[in-house]
Amino acid sequence: VEFVLHVQVANIAAGAVVCVESEIRGDVTIGPRTVVHPKARIIAEAGPIIIGEGNLIEEQALIINSYPENIMPDTEGVEPKTMTIGINNVFEVGCVSQALKIGDNNVIESKADLGKNVILTSGCIVGACCQVNTCEVIPENTVIYGSNCMRRVQTERPQPQTLQLDFLMKILPNYHHMKKTVKGTSTPVRN
Amino acid sequence: MASLLQPDRVLYLVHGEKKIRSPLSTLYFCRYCSELRSLECVSHEVDSHYCPSCLENMPSAEAKLKKNRCANCFDCPCCMHTLSTRATNIPAPLPDDPSKTTMKKAYYLACGFCRWTSRDVGMADKSVASGGWQEPDNPHTQRINKLIEYYQQLAQREKLERDRKKLARRRPYMPLAFSEKYGLGTRLQRQRPGAPITSLAGLSLKEGEDQKEINIEPAQALDEVEPLPEDCYTRPINLPEVTSLRQRLLQPDFQPAGASQLHPKHKHLLIKRSLRCRKCEHNLSKPEFNPTSIKFKIQLVAECQVLLTLTNPVENITHVTLVGCEEGDPEDINSTAKVMVPTKELVLAGKDAAADYDELAEPQDFQDDPDVVAFRKSNKIGFFIKVVPQREEDGDVTVSFKIRHDFRNLAAPIRPSEEGDAPTEAIWLTHHVELSLGPIIA
Repeated sequence: VEFVLHVQVANIAAGAVVCVESEIRGDVTIGPRTVVHPKARIIAEAGPIIIGEGNLIEEQALIINSYPENIMPDTEGVEPKTMTIGINNVFEVGCVSQALKIGDNNVIESKADLGKNVILTSGCIVGACCQVNTCEVIPENTVIYGSNCMRRVQTERPQPQTLQLDFLMKILPNYHHMKKTVKGTSTPVRN
Repeated sequence: MASLLQPDRVLYLVHGEKKIRSPLSTLYFCRYCSELRSLECVSHEVDSHYCPSCLENMPSAEAKLKKNRCANCFDCPCCMHTLSTRATNIPAPLPDDPSKTTMKKAYYLACGFCRWTSRDVGMADKSVASGGWQEPDNPHTQRINKLIEYYQQLAQREKLERDRKKLARRRPYMPLAFSEKYGLGTRLQRQRPGAPITSLAGLSLKEGEDQKEINIEPAQALDEVEPLPEDCYTRPINLPEVTSLRQRLLQPDFQPAGASQLHPKHKHLLIKRSLRCRKCEHNLSKPEFNPTSIKFKIQLVAECQVLLTLTNPVENITHVTLVGCEEGDPEDINSTAKVMVPTKELVLAGKDAAADYDELAEPQDFQDDPDVVAFRKSNKIGFFIKVVPQREEDGDVTVSFKIRHDFRNLAAPIRPSEEGDAPTEAIWLTHHVELSLGPIIA
């Protein structure tokens, strides 16, 4: 009989701004310069979640690494799958993401829903209220929009939200308490 | 509340060219004919043009010149949303010193919905925020303009011929421009069916001007057509590049098959319309001129004049009689149940806006029969009817009956009377009403 001990403490790098009101459960690693708003939820149920740097996770967003539907949590022999999220992504208010692999510079707009079998590459924009639950790799620079989830390819990738991130990293600590980071608790001062 | 939340429950019958049954909230009431009017028995006229995004009014002549499109606003060719102008800073060399660069603003069009930008089709960024964007020219414009000129001249000539024949019969000394002066304004000219295309006669030649003879070449049929490319069947399709039918047909000039040729078009203007009763030619609804205003100059909505389900909208005391439809009534086609309405006359108090605030006012005593009247509150009354469903089917139970009520026309022209004010006379109106009561349970 083998006991597997899951680390229950979130691993938040220095430079990330994670509000105390957000719910982080399970083995979650958050990179520097990432901002997690209050009431965001990052739940690592069936495996760890690794989030890169420069991401923006807004209120009521849900990033969940959940068990597949037909497998009970106690089944033995199930390998925990890691969910990887790249850099400079934006998860807007109220979106739900279960995609196991998300690249860089993607924007998941408000109330969008990504299923478990989708893989986002880079520069993709999933429009507001669009449900993407197909089993496919979305090519680079794809825009999914409209009530019928029409698609088109854009020529430029969305710009990283550096201005927004800097502003939030300055303002959020004034109004919320932050979760402790791994190396020290103070956020670095930006020039 | 049926008028707001379930408008199709109570239908009124409108006697027009067609018998239309529709809820009161969609009907108008012509107070000169004292009849209900629906949207199908009034004539719709264009009142003013405006752009839906910049809310700018445009005079009709200018709208015709610009083909009913706004000068400032664009539509996304991909998703038809309104395009917004965005600015970026690009380094540009100073005119005095080419080695130094300064930040200059460059503007491009972008769609917030599908993220289309003007850079996708190769349109260069402009240095001015508005007015720099041009639609591409149609290569066939010259030919089309020439054809239009030719046909305008033809229509003009035909019209003169016709007028000359008509006037020659009656008054030979009338000037030829007689029909021109009175064209399109009077009822007779407007309602004449089969009239030639009068819009082409907008630009009319003045008398005495030399008429240029415009000749056109007929279109030539070609024998040889461009052959299809060789790899037409084997080349894999680049799906994002293929335009949808809707995107293609919105640009009838070019109808591009590739998404990289989709250029933005100017936004289409919307109109404000005014409604006119066909029998008495009075205006039933006339909107405000200002595009930002939602009010009306004239608005004769039926709800303000005709009785609702026994809420009295007018300020006088109104007497209502309900009469059930007789057997074989030609208007009674939809009812699936027999209804027994109260036979006595019901009296409704007038609408008094201040009654809610005046607590000391004595309630008017109408001596209602408790079998007939369930409750009474200011200008509303609830009364009982008995319904006997005729069929056992699962459909909705519908009853119909006629409401007969008195109506005082407050807008009647003031007749000069010698004895001071005479009270306005009441006329009795009858409406055919259908009520949908819902399905039978068990």
